Amino acid sequence: MSHPVTTNPLIIMLINMTVVFLVLMALGVVINLIHYIDPTKPKTAPKEEAPAAPAPVAEPESAAAAPVEEGISPEVVAVIAAAVASMGCAGTVKAIRPVERNNWKNSGRNAIQGRG
Amino acid sequence: MELLQAFGVSLQAVWADSGFSAFTMGNGIMILVGLVLLYMAIVKEFEPLLLGPIAFGCVLANFPRTGFFTEPGLMQAIHFGIENEIFPPLIFLGIGAMTDFGPLLARPVTLLLGAAAQIGVFVALVGAMMLGFTVQEAGAIGIIGGADGPTAIYLSIQMAPHLLGAIAVAAYSYMSLVPLIQPPVMKLLTTQKEREVAMEQLRPVTKFERVCFPIVAAIIISLLLPPIASLLGCLMLGNLFRESGVMDRLSDTAQNSLCNIVTIFLATGTGMTMNADDFLQPATLLIIGLGLVAFIAGTAGGVIFGKIMCRVSGWKINPLIGSAGVSAVPMAARVSQVVGMKAKPGNYLLMHAMGPNVAGVIGTAVAAGTMLAMLK
Repeated sequence: MSHPVTTNPLIIMLINMTVVFLVLMALGVVINLIHYIDPTKPKTAPKEEAPAAPAPVAEPESAAAAPVEEGISPEVVAVIAAAVASMGCAGTVKAIRPVERNNWKNSGRNAIQGRG
Repeated sequence: MELLQAFGVSLQAVWADSGFSAFTMGNGIMILVGLVLLYMAIVKEFEPLLLGPIAFGCVLANFPRTGFFTEPGLMQAIHFGIENEIFPPLIFLGIGAMTDFGPLLARPVTLLLGAAAQIGVFVALVGAMMLGFTVQEAGAIGIIGGADGPTAIYLSIQMAPHLLGAIAVAAYSYMSLVPLIQPPVMKLLTTQKEREVAMEQLRPVTKFERVCFPIVAAIIISLLLPPIASLLGCLMLGNLFRESGVMDRLSDTAQNSLCNIVTIFLATGTGMTMNADDFLQPATLLIIGLGLVAFIAGTAGGVIFGKIMCRVSGWKINPLIGSAGVSAVPMAARVSQVVGMKAKPGNYLLMHAMGPNVAGVIGTAVAAGTMLAMLK
């Protein structure tokens, strides 16, 4: 057994506690570094955009809703989009259709009526 | 007549060779101590998986003329495993395979609580030196405050092998008494408002982080503190078995069969160091007293640092999780949970306390490594 570096208990305490803190802090840095370089971590970008979602929601409406907006004015599209956004939905409204309209049924009806 | 004489001589020879002829009062007392420990393990269920074999080892060690340590055989092989620090790293392999580092990775700041709780180790070291123990003995006694059995045994073997029995018994006894020792200290040092602090949910930890951490930590710690490379290397290897997802069979063996087998050897072998000559000394009582001081100081250190972190973080960290910085995985974390729930029902601190709890295991090993480097 070689000689101890010091036999003063307070110095031993001070040095050891410092080393313990430094090593564990270094591990903390390593953990943060691993988290930083982690290529598999979920992207945080969509989260940041979420609060701004209501505004962009309305914009694509007019363009996206254009093909289906027979009888639906841009103002109505904007109001519906705002209502959806106010309910906390961050998605994009891609289409607006009247509930009672069913294209398959209408198509069938038209076909039958056309035959007559 | 001749037959009777031969019979008498034979009986005399059997008696002379028997343990009874060499049985001392000390042996009797130690066997009684072993029986009391067995009672605590079996009836009171104080860490029965460890205290049971330790107690039985203590009983075995006090049969005279068994030649356990002088003649080749199983007992000598077990003793070899203890003397040459083979078993503690193997136990760490199992602990690593059982431990989820997730809470620590999700909130690395809790590493500081694991560091702060190591103050108990050094308070006991100072106390031991004031009571006349040598610096090496004081270091080995102090590590009881780390509340980590394998590390305590690992350090004692290297710094004060003659105190191994007393240190191991004190460490495991106090670990089983954590639910009784810690709550009064925690309550004394915290206010009701502090105990009621609710903590935010931990972020999810990716597999990449879980796999990288044990590899990088093993490299860094082994380079910094080679004396504990086998301990922490095994801890991290076990954890890699668990987290890699492709070594399930090894993980299963490390945390079940291997860990159980090594526990039998380590605990029985530790008990067998409790022979009357080494154990029945005034020093044993001092060690048991200092162990209690170490546990209380470690708990207090963690809680006080937790209070500081509570203020610094803007009341986002509950100081009660600081007490889990003394290792005793997962018992100390459970104590934080129980005390927190009593202060505010529905306040679940268990997962938050696992961070400092795991950090405490690493912190105790680092403290042991530093002491080995400085004092051995």
